[in-house]
Amino acid sequence: MIDLRNQAAVVGFGYVPFGKRGQYAEKGHLRLVVEAVAAACADAGITPADVDGYSSYYTPIDPPELFEAFGAKQLRYTAQTWGGGGSSMCGAFQNAAMAVATGAADYVVVHKVMTMEAGARYGQAFGQMGQGVPSIGGPFQYSVPYGLQAPGQMFALAARRHMHLYGTTTEQFAHVTMHARAMAANNPEARFRTPITVEDHHASQMIADPLRLFDFCMETDYGCAVVITSAERARDCPHPPAYIASAAVGAPFRYGNALMSFYNQPDEDFASSGQRAVAGEVYRMARMGLADMDVAMVYDHFTPMVITSLEDFGFCAKGEGGPYVADGNLGLDGPLPVNPHGGNLAEAYTHGMTHVNEAVRQIRGTAINQVPGATNVLVVGGAGPSPTSGMILTGSPE
Amino acid sequence: MSEQMPGLPGPRPDPATEGYWLAAGRGELVIQRCTACGVHRHPPTQVCYSCGALDWEWARHSGDGTVYSYTWVERPIHPGLAALGAYNTTVVELDDTDGVVRILARVTDVARADLVIGLPVEVHFDPVGDGIALPVFRPRRTGA
Repeated sequence: MIDLRNQAAVVGFGYVPFGKRGQYAEKGHLRLVVEAVAAACADAGITPADVDGYSSYYTPIDPPELFEAFGAKQLRYTAQTWGGGGSSMCGAFQNAAMAVATGAADYVVVHKVMTMEAGARYGQAFGQMGQGVPSIGGPFQYSVPYGLQAPGQMFALAARRHMHLYGTTTEQFAHVTMHARAMAANNPEARFRTPITVEDHHASQMIADPLRLFDFCMETDYGCAVVITSAERARDCPHPPAYIASAAVGAPFRYGNALMSFYNQPDEDFASSGQRAVAGEVYRMARMGLADMDVAMVYDHFTPMVITSLEDFGFCAKGEGGPYVADGNLGLDGPLPVNPHGGNLAEAYTHGMTHVNEAVRQIRGTAINQVPGATNVLVVGGAGPSPTSGMILTGSPE
Repeated sequence: MSEQMPGLPGPRPDPATEGYWLAAGRGELVIQRCTACGVHRHPPTQVCYSCGALDWEWARHSGDGTVYSYTWVERPIHPGLAALGAYNTTVVELDDTDGVVRILARVTDVARADLVIGLPVEVHFDPVGDGIALPVFRPRRTGA
């Protein structure tokens, strides 16, 4: 069996400045991706025409369009993984790593882009499927007709069950956002830098009880790209490589379309991030455990799902995620700092790409809230829609 | 379109699901059951997750269950729902099934403070036209 561990590395990242919802609507998706890929390639010391592979998750821009746009001589690899939003984001890196490690391609780009058209909202992604039509088919015929139409409503069901089973509170949810704002306070690129209190959180609008506005990440217009190449090539790139020690996608038993249209998973997984299975794969492949990590990037689209991700990846015991976040364990002086850039909740919501950017910065030693000597970084994809994902990046491939 | 929730689309049945919706239109709750091993499953699909058998049948269910989780939606996506005020979407775990069966639905006839996890509920039906209806639930009147 081929061991993929540390055979590939992230060697460049690039992005356009984060915008408000709809800010880049006129620019359009292709332009945003092209700018991001060009910046990522410059960071990696290559040109976009050198990119001969594209690995994607949930993107509106197809790889052949990018390959053609940049005039690369030959396209050698394309891949896509499934899962809504950024749940499978690390799967795109898994596929990219396999491509460059096996020689299927030399330089693979993972990109993600989003700009909202005027009036469009992320939360309407499912509702739109049922608007202006008298009926809805497929898996959503069991949810949309009841008014379950948005991710926030779906995650509210898991959050409520978690509160019931473990005594988790909305005050503990607030601490997740409070931490994100605290981390973003000195990040000039972050969109929400104002500190908040539990009272501020509780005063924000209730959207889908128990979730309030401040439990939601913000809609962002963005374009992000990352370059992956083989470990051998990576050593010739300008910056220290962030080796992919592991990357995996997965789901536990009966977690298929969980929360979106399926509710029969075992009780311990219903009130979870759905990441219990993938966490084991991430640690197994890396031959490392949580104790080896120096800093963690945890996808934070909704505050209770950070709590459940921390539980599933072993930061604390099952059911103890609420007290864990409220006790200040996420901070830079905690046992394992989480999202020093401010994450989806405070910096920008990029479906996980900025978590990778920050992981690379931490390994390079160039982060604003740098964890001294950071070498091993856990990256956790979005909780919820299967497959979920995770990976470990490392600056030390020994 | 639901009589209780105007503006929302109704379900569009397909060969695997029309039996469920048509039964609801007749005032019956039916659940898919594997004819090989007897395990119940929902939403309908084409293979038994437990034994792998492809054959299945519709099995009538009492419609009794308990509330498993819920949310009160205060800011609806569909503009047609705004006038209703907060509404709930609720996961109900059915009683007396072989294997876990949970249904996403709505609990009617309940005050917000009274909707709690573990509440015993019973099925009733919200017609949506074309002979089909949405199974919905209300607090059980006959006692748990």
